[in-house]
This record gives sequence, structure tokens and C-alpha cells, in this order.
Amino acid sequence: MTPVTSKVCVVGDFAVGKTSVVERFVNNHFSEKYLTTVGVKIDTKEIESAGTGIAHKLVIWDVAGSDRFGDTEFAYLRGASGYIYVADGTRPATLGAVENLREQIAGKYGPAPSVLLVNKRDLTSEWCISDERISGVSGAYDDLYRTSARTGEDVEHALTRLAGLIIDNDFRGA
Amino acid sequence: MELPAPVVDYLQSEFLSQTRPFCFLIDDNYRLIESWGRNDWCGLTGLETAVDMREPAPFLVGIDISALQQFEFIETSGRAVVNVHVIPADGQCYIVLLDAHRDHASLQSKQQSVNELRLMHGRLHKLIERQRELISELIETRSELDHHRRDAERISANKSRFIAMMSHEFRTPLASIINYATLAGEEPTSSNDVQKSIETISRSARHLTSMVEAVLDDASLDAGQVRLVEADFEIYSLLDDVAAMMAPLAAEKGLSFATQIDPDVPEVIHADEVRLRQVLINLLGNAVKFTLDGGVRLVATYNDGRLVITVSDSGPGISLEDQERVFQAFERGSRQDATGAGLGLTITLRLVELMRGEVSLDSLPGEGCTVSVHLPVQSAAGDAARSAPVLPTPSNDTIATKALSILVCDDDDDMIALVEHYLHRSGYGLITSSDSSEAIAKTLKYDPDLVLMDCNVPGVGGVVAARVLRERGYAKPIVALTASKLSDEEKAEFTHFFRKPAPMQQLLTEIKRLTH
Repeated sequence: MTPVTSKVCVVGDFAVGKTSVVERFVNNHFSEKYLTTVGVKIDTKEIESAGTGIAHKLVIWDVAGSDRFGDTEFAYLRGASGYIYVADGTRPATLGAVENLREQIAGKYGPAPSVLLVNKRDLTSEWCISDERISGVSGAYDDLYRTSARTGEDVEHALTRLAGLIIDNDFRGA
Repeated sequence: MELPAPVVDYLQSEFLSQTRPFCFLIDDNYRLIESWGRNDWCGLTGLETAVDMREPAPFLVGIDISALQQFEFIETSGRAVVNVHVIPADGQCYIVLLDAHRDHASLQSKQQSVNELRLMHGRLHKLIERQRELISELIETRSELDHHRRDAERISANKSRFIAMMSHEFRTPLASIINYATLAGEEPTSSNDVQKSIETISRSARHLTSMVEAVLDDASLDAGQVRLVEADFEIYSLLDDVAAMMAPLAAEKGLSFATQIDPDVPEVIHADEVRLRQVLINLLGNAVKFTLDGGVRLVATYNDGRLVITVSDSGPGISLEDQERVFQAFERGSRQDATGAGLGLTITLRLVELMRGEVSLDSLPGEGCTVSVHLPVQSAAGDAARSAPVLPTPSNDTIATKALSILVCDDDDDMIALVEHYLHRSGYGLITSSDSSEAIAKTLKYDPDLVLMDCNVPGVGGVVAARVLRERGYAKPIVALTASKLSDEEKAEFTHFFRKPAPMQQLLTEIKRLTH
């Protein structure tokens, strides 16, 4: 049976761990080396949709980090079924960047399923975004996860949760 | 104006070789109609007509192929980097892929540097923020500490005032008790029992008074009310006085007591005599109080403007743990059985510090205790001639180099004083007796390192005393110092024989020879 295919975009400020989150989800791998993404990286992963058993192929667009998008980046997002917003728990400003991007994207393309990942959970001694601050923005997203691409904590949960939201939004609701 | 044909041909050739275009045509369902160009570099090989191109080229998912558009730097799962051009044409669409890996690599390298710098800047900013926070915390903590310190000082001053006031309140009735007890004791009709009771009352009241004095001293020092009164005075005189005060107390306990004054110690110094006397009495008093066997030694040296007075004893010593506590008020270390307020060493330390000096303590359990007071004092050399003592100081080569005690038996107080002067200053501990029978008993009890015996003394006499001592096993030197003429047989009872008036230097030299 042909799988359902969805385009998912991963966005957030630079060096928050977007590529690492995708690498952990797609290949269950993590690299300590930081390598800046230029343009967009595309990966795919097929999963089984929770509950329905539907084969769901996610085409993941890992967009270069930025705190504000221009025409080039918006072109990448066109046709996306859902968004993964990623912030860095050790850099409070990245949560603000995610908020900017979410507002820009919603303004341009309208509402879409989304999850917020506050990443680098493993760096407990450097973690400096309070629970109150995270709770304050979490209402704008369908779900919130404190993740670690290094350990894998909650990465798969977050992406499969988004996949489920997309199925609900694009197919069941349709 | 168009470019010349050769230039156009050249540029076209360059562009094609660098971008290696691959083009394919798809219908409105993304199915492949036809393809052109090289496809080996972008991973899209083996394509068959009618295949859904979203499968081999997933970047097409979600793309609107009815609009002209382009996407820069798409890195595919095959890790090729392409610029994608979407060119609609009559319900179909051309997709053109251009190799962009060179531009991508160049931009990636620059962006990497920029991002790493931004991260470093962010970390630096964080560190600066943290530093600011720490400085704020430090300022706050200091302020709190200052606040606590002021509180503590206020409480301490209040406590000192209270203690001082209470001590004064105690002293007045204590003085009455002592005076009335003295009066009552002088009453001839008092029975023995009453006399004993009165003596107990007097003794207890005097003890209580000395404790109150100590508490008052400590409180005065605590409150900063003690001011030094510095003047020129004779340090030899002070040391002799203190030794004269302490030697009988030591003798009462059967302890030797020695004073050794280094010849370099100036005759006259500029310091607070009263407070220095108090320090020495405290130290010597402690040494005598806690020493049960052996002796106490007072040594004074002077070097480079510093007077060092050392009091050592052969008492039980102080453990390292207790050494940290004994200078604290009301602490006696492990000597909980000792009498007193436990303020002697506290007051000593505070007085010495007030005199800009230091106190050091060297002790091990079971090996005695040595307390040294180091004081910066000025030598008042100009007054030396005026205040030079009548008796000269013993020379260095007669000074004892180890702790030794000598029993001196003589019934002439002046002679005892003279011998005491020289032996003390040569560093020997002294046990004195004015009766030869008593001298026998003290020698057998305390086992001195040498006996210096006058022959015409009360009791059995010096010669018989020497013979008895030998018979009872005393094997150490017995030196006769007498004005009497002795027979050879009598002389044989002694290790050595001196006729009075013996030259003191000669006597000291012989004593050192016999005891070292």
C-alpha cells in the first residue's frame, strides 16, 4: 500500500540542534561535531501511524537556522503539512527566535500542526530556560517536548506525535 | 547588443560544465515524461517513464508545479547539493537541477565561522552575565556579613559591658568577705574549728576574687579598654621578680625552677612592664599549676629587636586538638579538672597581640609544653649603665644546655640568693634547703642532678648529709661549698670541694663539667 506522504519542516535559530534531532530520528545517530546547515537538508522516514496503522512517509526539510525568515526560506516551507520548532534550553534567546518564526509562518501560510522541542535537555548544568517561560509559550503549539538529540530523549515521541497530528489534520479532518 | 557568438559559446560551455544540468519533464501528477542531461551526480539514475518523481526526488513533495520558482541549496539524501528550478509549460513542468556543491561548500564554510563566532560571543556574554551575578551576590553577601559583624560586635560589647559591671558588683562584696574574715580570724576567742572555717572562707573568697579579676581583664580586652603604658624598665629585674615569685610555688610542688637570660638581652627595654609581668605570671603560673613532676624553665633571648621569652615545662603536654582551643576564653582543653576561669592563655594572647607580638605553642601529650612570646621591643641602651645590675651575668660557656636541677643547701640567705642568681641565669632549676636533714629528704625525693652543700648547716651537717646520701644510693655529684676547713677524709665524701668565697665563674664551670 502506498504510504501517505507529508512534508514536515524543522525550523529554529542556528545551532539549536535541528539537524541533530533529524539525524537522531532518521538514523538514530548523534554527532558531537557542529556543522552549520546552509539551505535545506532533506531526509525521509516512513513510520506507522499510531492507532491507524497507516504507513506514513515523512519528508523532513531541515531548514538552515535563523531567527527570521526571508523569501528564500519561505520558499522551502511551501506545501508543509506540519512544523517542528526547535529551541535550545541553554540559550533563552532561541525560544524568542522560535516565537518570531512561528508568528511569521502562521502569518504567511496559516495554521498547521506543530510541536515545540526545547532541546539539549542533557546539558542540565547549563539549562537556563525556566519551566514558567516554556509554559508561557507552549499554548501556541500542539505539544511541547524537552528533548535531547544526544541521548535521544523524547525525540521520537515528538516526531511521531507531529505525524499523528498531521494525519488527523490532513486526512481524518478532510 | 548581443554578445559575440564565440563568447556565448564559451560561457555556455563553462556554465554547463560547472552546473552539470539535469532536466526532466513531469505531468501534473508528477509522473516522468522525459529526461535530459547527466544524472549520475545527483543520484537520479535508472529513471523509468511514468514513475512518480516524488519518490526518487522527495523535494518535489508539496511543491506547486504550476508556478515558476526556484530553490537554492537543497541537500538531498544522496548528499548532492542542487539548485532546483521549476518551470511550468502547458500543464506539464520541467524540473532543472543544477549542481551547487561548490557554492554551497564556500558559503557553508563562511557561515560555519560566523555561527561559531556568534556561539562564542553568546558564551562570553553568558560568562559576563554570570560574573555580574556573582559580583552582585558577593556585594550582597559582604553587606550581610557586615551587618552580622556589626550585630556581633554590638552583642559582644554589650556582653563585655555586662561582665565588667557584674565583675565590679562581685568584687565589692568579695572584698568585704575577705576583710571581715581576716578580722574574725584575728579574734583570739575563736575556736580551732571556727579558725579553720574562717580560713576556708578567706581562701575561697580570694580564689573567687582572682577569677573575677581574670574575667574583668578579659572583658576589658574584649571591649578594647586596655591601653598600653610603655616606659623604660629593667627586664632583668622583672624576670628576677617573676622568678622569685614562682620559684617557691614550684618548690612547694617539688619542681625545679630555672631562669636563663641570654647575655644579648638588653638591660633596659621600652615596653609595658605591668602587662609583660602579667603575661609571664600567667604563663609560669600555668606551667607550675599543670606540672606534677620535673620542672619549669624560663628562657629569655633577644635578637634583631625581638625579645623572646620561652616558658617550658615537663607537664602533661597539650594535644594538637586542644592547642587550637586553649587560647579561647573559658577553654582548658582536656584539663577539665583544673581550677581557674580558663582565661589565662586568652588574656596572655590578647595582651601579647596588643603589644604587637605573637605567642607560639609547642607541645605533645606526655612531653611537656613550651610557650614562646615574641615581642618587638626597643632596647633603651642609653640607660644601661645607670641600671646595670650589681651582679654580672654568667658567661655563655657556663650556661646549661639541657634541663637540669640543682639542690642548694645553705642556711645563709644571702649566699642562697647569690647562688640562685647565678644558677638561675645559667639555666639550672633550683631546689633550696636551709637544713641538711631536709636536704637529704629533698634529694632522695626529687633526685636533683647535683647537690651543692654547705658543711656548717643545721641538721646533721653537710659532711654527714653527703655520707648518708651516698649510703642511700644517691650517685650524682655532691659539691661542697663551705667556709669550713675539711679534713681529707671529709673531703672524700664530696665529688668536688670549694672554699667560700668561691669564684662564681669557676663554680659554674665545674657544675657544668660535672652535669653535662
